[in-house]
Amino acid sequence: MTTPLTKPSLDDPRIAIPAASEWYEPAPTAQTERQAEFLNLRDGEMFVNMGPQHPSTHGVLRIVVKVNGEQVVDLDPVLGYLHRGVEKLCENADYHQAICYTDPLEYVASLFCEAAPVAAFEKLMDVEVPRRAQYIRVLTMELNRIASHTLFQGWMALDLGGITPILWSFIERDEIVDMLAALTGQKLLYNYYRIGGVNGDLNHEFMSRLGNWMSRAAAQIDSNLGLMNENEIFVRRTRGLGTLDAATALRMGVTGPNLRATGVPFDLRRDHPYLVYPELEFNVPTRDEGDSLARYMVRIDEIRESIRIIDQVLHEMPDGPVMAKLPRLIRPRPGRAFGAVEGPRGAYGVYAISDGTDQPFRMRIHDPSFVHLQLVGPLTRGNLIADTMAVMASLDPVMGGVDK
Amino acid sequence: MDRALATALTERFGSTLLTPVRQRFDETEIRVSVADAIETLRALHDETEFAFEMLIDLCGVDTGEEMQVVYHLSSSRSGDWLRVIVPGIDRSAPRVNSLVSLWPGAEWMEREAYDMFGIIFEGNRDLRRIYMPDDYASHPLRKDFYLADDASRSPAAGVRNMERAGTPVDATRGTTLRKSPGA
Repeated sequence: MTTPLTKPSLDDPRIAIPAASEWYEPAPTAQTERQAEFLNLRDGEMFVNMGPQHPSTHGVLRIVVKVNGEQVVDLDPVLGYLHRGVEKLCENADYHQAICYTDPLEYVASLFCEAAPVAAFEKLMDVEVPRRAQYIRVLTMELNRIASHTLFQGWMALDLGGITPILWSFIERDEIVDMLAALTGQKLLYNYYRIGGVNGDLNHEFMSRLGNWMSRAAAQIDSNLGLMNENEIFVRRTRGLGTLDAATALRMGVTGPNLRATGVPFDLRRDHPYLVYPELEFNVPTRDEGDSLARYMVRIDEIRESIRIIDQVLHEMPDGPVMAKLPRLIRPRPGRAFGAVEGPRGAYGVYAISDGTDQPFRMRIHDPSFVHLQLVGPLTRGNLIADTMAVMASLDPVMGGVDK
Repeated sequence: MDRALATALTERFGSTLLTPVRQRFDETEIRVSVADAIETLRALHDETEFAFEMLIDLCGVDTGEEMQVVYHLSSSRSGDWLRVIVPGIDRSAPRVNSLVSLWPGAEWMEREAYDMFGIIFEGNRDLRRIYMPDDYASHPLRKDFYLADDASRSPAAGVRNMERAGTPVDATRGTTLRKSPGA
């Protein structure tokens, strides 16, 4: 015998309805002047939470947006959902282990996250990297830059509501990822660079895949671009959106393509040269508009420059060893060093302090995405909510690096 | 290595520099006191002979004896990185002036240094924790940070008994404080 199903009524005494004060989380108390300003709601304004699991936040980011209707009045990014304490972990690891902790910082282009600490440690150890290893590093980093930029292209379209480009951009990216997997044994977190060289010389599979890809790369990437560059919806949507001028960009500490889109030709490969970049020929593409479209176009131009660099590297790469002679246990003399590389998002820097033991005493990791995320507030104030995502996509932050 | 930069720095900031200018590879390093820090950075930024317009990095350092704030700057006039170290900040009450008026982009990096070291940047309007939760009790990158002890005071205290530590007095026993002669 079953009891008949009845529709529950709110008058039923068994249903306890909590008091209104229990429904809502208490409003956070302001800790700073700026937060008090942010938490103060004027007439018609309300808070909307974006994230932390919003699909278009490039990782786990929460943005508290203060909106008036559909218009963004102010916003406050809340970080820390991916915080792993990499700097602390590195202090408790030896120099070789520290490199592999930095890999997952920017999972989209992890070779750059390795290159910066390796550069700093090599300065601490005062070791000369063999020329072949330098060429291999440039080759793999430029490949990784192309992979990151093509993915950016697809992501940006996805954030603007277009599904197709990401499917096409993954074709190129997958090809490069497979290539690097053949070389390093890993698909994403390569752990390929070593203090004083690289882990293993170029192998046959990598070279044949690379040659195959290079023969059609430029044409393939150009045909993918047609999906977006000639798409009127995309161009109209991004032109004039989130415009940043050069003076503000410099004051905000912006680097990389986001800075070059404002017309400042600052590129670490040119201005603070490392590895064999001074011997290679390439342009530093810039745009003057500083809007979302310019940030997109600069990255596209960089893909072409990277292909040019790879072409030169393949022609000029010398034979020789790929590792310098170093003791197994890295124990630099006490000192300080700053190593930086130009990544696909800007300047990655690592400031390492040695105290003479086999572990870094302090290892500061500077990630450009962290700085660029500060711009989301100033650039989207007064725009529509949907444009927040468009501006954020054009700044191309990766939360793994932001949260460290 | 940019020798001209070292000469220019010595001439311009002579008595302000705590130690002589040091150069190694493509890095130039100067040390200035807490009181002179912001004025020196402002001069480096504004004066056309230096034109250090780009703040590449700002970070805190705990040497075990004192706190430091370290700035890395870049200029279009020189191929060198300029490292400005502000040493001698009291560990028990670290306090320096904020750089936000000069580089607004320093705001989050200062928040991070505050979160990780407890360094208070006077003049930063938004100095609150950025990575750790608001009710977190200590500053993780300090050299006296002891993980188990701090976990027992964190919001997750008591979730797993294994992580519960004794009092802070017990916690510091047996751990060694690393101090850097090089920093």
